Order: sequence, then C-alpha cells, then structure tokens
Amino acid sequence: MSASIYALLVGVAMGFFIQRVRASSPAMIASNLRLENLSVIKFMALTIAVGMVVVYALSLLMPQAMHFDIKPTYVIGVLLGGLVFGVGFGVGGYCPGTCVVGAGEGRKDAFFAILGGVVGALAFTLVYTTLIAPIVPLASYGKITLADVVHLPTMVVALVVGVIFLVVIRALPTEVKKAK
Amino acid sequence: MSHASGIPAVTAVPVARTSKYPPWAFYGVLFGVVSAASILLWGPIGVSGTYPRFIGALMRAFDPSYAEANPYLVRMGSLLKPETWLVVGLLIGGFIGARANREKTPKLEMVHPGEASPANRYRNAFIGGFLIILGARIAGGCTSGHIISGITQLSISGFIFAIGTFATGIISAKMLHARRAAGV
Repeated sequence: MSASIYALLVGVAMGFFIQRVRASSPAMIASNLRLENLSVIKFMALTIAVGMVVVYALSLLMPQAMHFDIKPTYVIGVLLGGLVFGVGFGVGGYCPGTCVVGAGEGRKDAFFAILGGVVGALAFTLVYTTLIAPIVPLASYGKITLADVVHLPTMVVALVVGVIFLVVIRALPTEVKKAK
Repeated sequence: MSHASGIPAVTAVPVARTSKYPPWAFYGVLFGVVSAASILLWGPIGVSGTYPRFIGALMRAFDPSYAEANPYLVRMGSLLKPETWLVVGLLIGGFIGARANREKTPKLEMVHPGEASPANRYRNAFIGGFLIILGARIAGGCTSGHIISGITQLSISGFIFAIGTFATGIISAKMLHARRAAGV
C-alpha cells in the first residue's frame, strides 16, 4: 500500500520534471536526436549521474532498506529491443513515459502514441512465445552490473562513472551550432 | 518552421526563477535524487511494463482462458502494482507542469518536416508508440527502466539498451529531417 503511494508521488514528480524540461515535447526529442539541442540528453545523463552516486551512498548507509532491481542482460534481445525502440523514438518523438506526461499536458498526438503503445503491447503478447522467448536465452548473463564486470566496489564504480558523465555533460554544448 | 521557433523558446521558458541553472541541470539533479529515493522507498522507476499489464487486464475481462494460457501475461501479473500508480502520477505531473508553466503547451506540434497535416503527426505518433512498446518489451524495459533506472544501478543491460536506442533514434530522426531536402 505505502509502495503504491510512494510510486504515485514519484510519478507526479517525474512527470512534472519531464514537462518542465520539455522532454514531453516530441519536437524537442527530435531536435535532441538530431543532435541540434542536447538539453534532454543532458537532463537524462545528469539524472543518472546524480542517481547512481546517491543510491549507492544510501546503500552503504542502509543496505537492508534498498529495493534494487537489476534487469537481466540478454545481449541480443536487449540490443534488438533498443534498436526497435530507437526507431519508434525517432519517428514518434515519445517514449512510454513521456507520452503519458504529454497526454496530461493535453497534447493530442500523445494519445495516439499511447494507443500505438497499447497495440504494440498486444502485438508483443501475441508473438511472445514464438518470436521472443527463443531469443531471450541467447548471450544471457543474468543480472550483472558494471561493478561485477570490473570487480570493484559499487560505490567506487558509481563515483567514477558519475564523474565521467559530469565531465561529458560539461564539455558538450547544449545548443549545437550548425556548420552550414 | 516549428523547429526554428521551438528551439529559442527552450532557453526562454521561465522555470526555476530562483535558480541560475538551466532547467535541464536544475531538474536533472532533482530527478536524480528522486530516482534514488524511489529505489530506497519501493523500487526503480519503470513505465513500459504497465502497457502489457493493461493488455492482461483487458484479456482477463474479455477472454480469461487466453489470459491464463499466455505465459507473458501470467508473468507480468495484474495492474495492482506500484508501477501502475507511477504511470498515473506521470499523467498528473504532466498536467500540473503544464498548468504551472507560463508558456502555453501546444496542443499539437509538428515534429518532422514531412508532417504536412495533423493526420501525418498522429500516424507517426501511433507508429512510434507501437515500436517503442514493442522494442521495450523485447528488451525488458524502456527509457525509464533500462536507461534511467538501469544505468543508475550500473546495470550492463541499461548501457546496451541505451546504445541501441540512440543509434537508431539518431539515424531515424536525421533521416526524417533530411526528407525535406530530398523533396519527399
């Protein structure tokens, strides 16, 4: 019960942040994917950098309280899914969360994106057994993290990756000047 | 035109007046803290799994025998999950954000030069929505579950998904933009 309330509150905050940085604008997403404006990409990278340092610091303080949930790495399926996702991201300008935020804002096309998503989920459900289940076991490494791969404490890895992200965010321009 | 007029407005959005930081930096830090707090309080954020759970709820209402026989719907379980409330929260957060914004949210923005009419935009939004959920379910997560939560937890799967997403995302967005030059 309390988990649902926390999730609702996190959702409201997340939706508000996404709206304020215009990540729910498909035109803004398209200009980020064309690498003309990097503000949403920087927003995501900064969220991740801050999140990883805070979450692994919290886990040092109260390891029992954390609800980590690492998704399994099945290389072929995750990469293939990412490639399919990217085409949809480029064409529609929405991701599964931002279209819901866009619908909350009153964007008409966001409702079409949600409808497409529902039909996509139905299509996936219908082909799951025949097309998807066979590729999941391919190149499957289970729930691994970068810390498992490099054999270093997670806090150290989080700090190193977080700092790399921050350096890259600072080095990149937010508005990219076109050469022509 | 929509791009030319859209981009300068980004810096002009009067958000976080007390802050000297741009909105992406200000809200990026806040979102990072919130996503970490989410893992402490109940679990990592993730959105795309709610779509098949919604399909599962529909199937259980209209064709219960199919719902029970489909291994994927069984595995995803019911909508009575915190993630469903996260999605409800996104809708509310978007609504509040738009109302708090001095700038009016456009009801419809054209995204690619080839979108000559609202019908074109709705079609592209629908196709995009279809592919993002299909892709996200193949991969087991989306922008929130794999990229934000995944990389935050240093998951290898999150890095792989992000590489795939940005590879075809950048290519498709640039190709749809280049169609104007080609006269298509």
